[in-house]
Amino acid sequence: MTEYDVRAKALKDAVISCKVPEILKAVEDAKADGMEAVPIIEIMSEAMGEVGVLFERGRIFLPHVLSAAAGMNKTMEILGPELKANSTGNEKSAIVVIGTVEGDVHDIGKSICSTMLQCGGFDIHDLGRDVPKQLFIDEIKNGATFCGMSALMTSTMMVMKDTIDIIVEQGLRDNVTVMVGGAPITQVFADKIGADIYGESASETTEKAKAILNS
Amino acid sequence: MGDGRRVRMTKQQIIDDIHAGMADGADAARVPELSEEEMERICEIVCDKNKIVSVEPGKEVVLSKDAGTTKFNMANNGCGVGIPSTGLLDGQLIYERCFAFDSMEFAWMDYSIKPTKAVIDFMLINYEQMSQMTTMPLVMGAMPNMGLYFAPDGPHANPTDLMREFKIEESMAASEAAADQLTNDIGYICERIGEVGCEGFDFDTTASAGDAEFVATLRGIENYRKIDPEAYIECGMSAENVLGIHGSMEYDGKIVAGMYPHEQVKLVEKAGANIFGPVVNTNSSRSFAWNVARSAVIVKECEKVSNIPVHVNLGMGVGGIPMCELPPTDIVGRSGKILIEIANVDGI
Repeated sequence: MTEYDVRAKALKDAVISCKVPEILKAVEDAKADGMEAVPIIEIMSEAMGEVGVLFERGRIFLPHVLSAAAGMNKTMEILGPELKANSTGNEKSAIVVIGTVEGDVHDIGKSICSTMLQCGGFDIHDLGRDVPKQLFIDEIKNGATFCGMSALMTSTMMVMKDTIDIIVEQGLRDNVTVMVGGAPITQVFADKIGADIYGESASETTEKAKAILNS
Repeated sequence: MGDGRRVRMTKQQIIDDIHAGMADGADAARVPELSEEEMERICEIVCDKNKIVSVEPGKEVVLSKDAGTTKFNMANNGCGVGIPSTGLLDGQLIYERCFAFDSMEFAWMDYSIKPTKAVIDFMLINYEQMSQMTTMPLVMGAMPNMGLYFAPDGPHANPTDLMREFKIEESMAASEAAADQLTNDIGYICERIGEVGCEGFDFDTTASAGDAEFVATLRGIENYRKIDPEAYIECGMSAENVLGIHGSMEYDGKIVAGMYPHEQVKLVEKAGANIFGPVVNTNSSRSFAWNVARSAVIVKECEKVSNIPVHVNLGMGVGGIPMCELPPTDIVGRSGKILIEIANVDGI
């Protein structure tokens, strides 16, 4: 194992520990050893993916994921000046409007998803639950390029189609990637209503959104 | 399929899905796998050509029921069938005299602890009247539903909102404060129903707001058991594992986040409940064979370690049943038979 590999593993382990002080110490050590900002961030981003997998498997929980994300955020503050100096101008981010659809008051699955998307670097506008269709439209008009809709009930899942129909009617469809999820939702349903992304889990949704953002 | 779609599968595809679903469940819950013989039996039941599939005489299990009689008079989008009836008395009599239920629950239409507290006097009068006209045991029921204690419905800040602002300690504090309030409200309701001789309480859809709600409910059950040693207490879950929204909440010295049914039941037992209702979520993208095998392996271990009766949740979206408004009867019968024969459940 090279010295670089050892340092990379230390960084990765620190992120997976989900402890902010350990993450910051690993970053300081990596910098002291001469590692540049970009590879540090790349290694940590990869480790955040593993944090997401551990969360999905029930090995760690939401506060742990957020602690890891907080460590990432503080790292970005520390490395910000160096990253800015090396910036190519090609870095991408996006606004995600997300909510549980009108008539459905189930909040937790959607909240976990919005939290994971935030950890994935998206700018989250979480509208909560029982969200009127027009609020999604307003957010898209104001610049959201991803629209995430959640439903837990078979009786509310068709509201997703109604919302997509309004997006189409108002000529906004090309501006936005529509994501749908929730217990009754399947890929078949997502295809049927014309959604772009179906996520079976919060991590899967985040990965698919990142793939579209970076495509 | 788990979303109610009809698909054609070969026997080999069904066998493959039974193996895959079972392996997924065993891995997720970290429980022993089913034997080849058990999986072959599941396949036989899934492939049974009869429309009505059931257990042999003598192997029937008892039924308990959540949400009381509200399923009659609520509209379809509230999971009801829209039959005009007085929610409490008419429904109880129908369940006793038409459906021959073993026990029944009475519940306020807004089926949660917080709103039930506000109407408890109304509920007690109804209980007194119902108990004069029925012979089956009647328990009161409600979901702990701790979500109602958080903004925008309650006094405490929403933990997931706080987490998105990286206010993790504040988020945990909000969960703990809401849990204390929920435990107190459970205590108030249980004390009041005891005054009129109510037989017990069904804590339904427990832990829907995560680990803090589970702990609050366990504490509530513990307190209820102290004030009524004879009470008949059922605790049913909302999902197969306890969501770690707080992450560190403990009961009996154990962190409850991430617990699966075989771990949950030990705490429910310790708190003093009489019946545990495990849940295994249906994956709407997978086949019935995959889902029911997954349910069987998870529930079997729960039943094995439990010292109290286990009544598995069997209905739309849980226990292998598809997530659609009208689950097909032949699917429901097969799920019940598999969970009785393979997972050895005491009730449904």
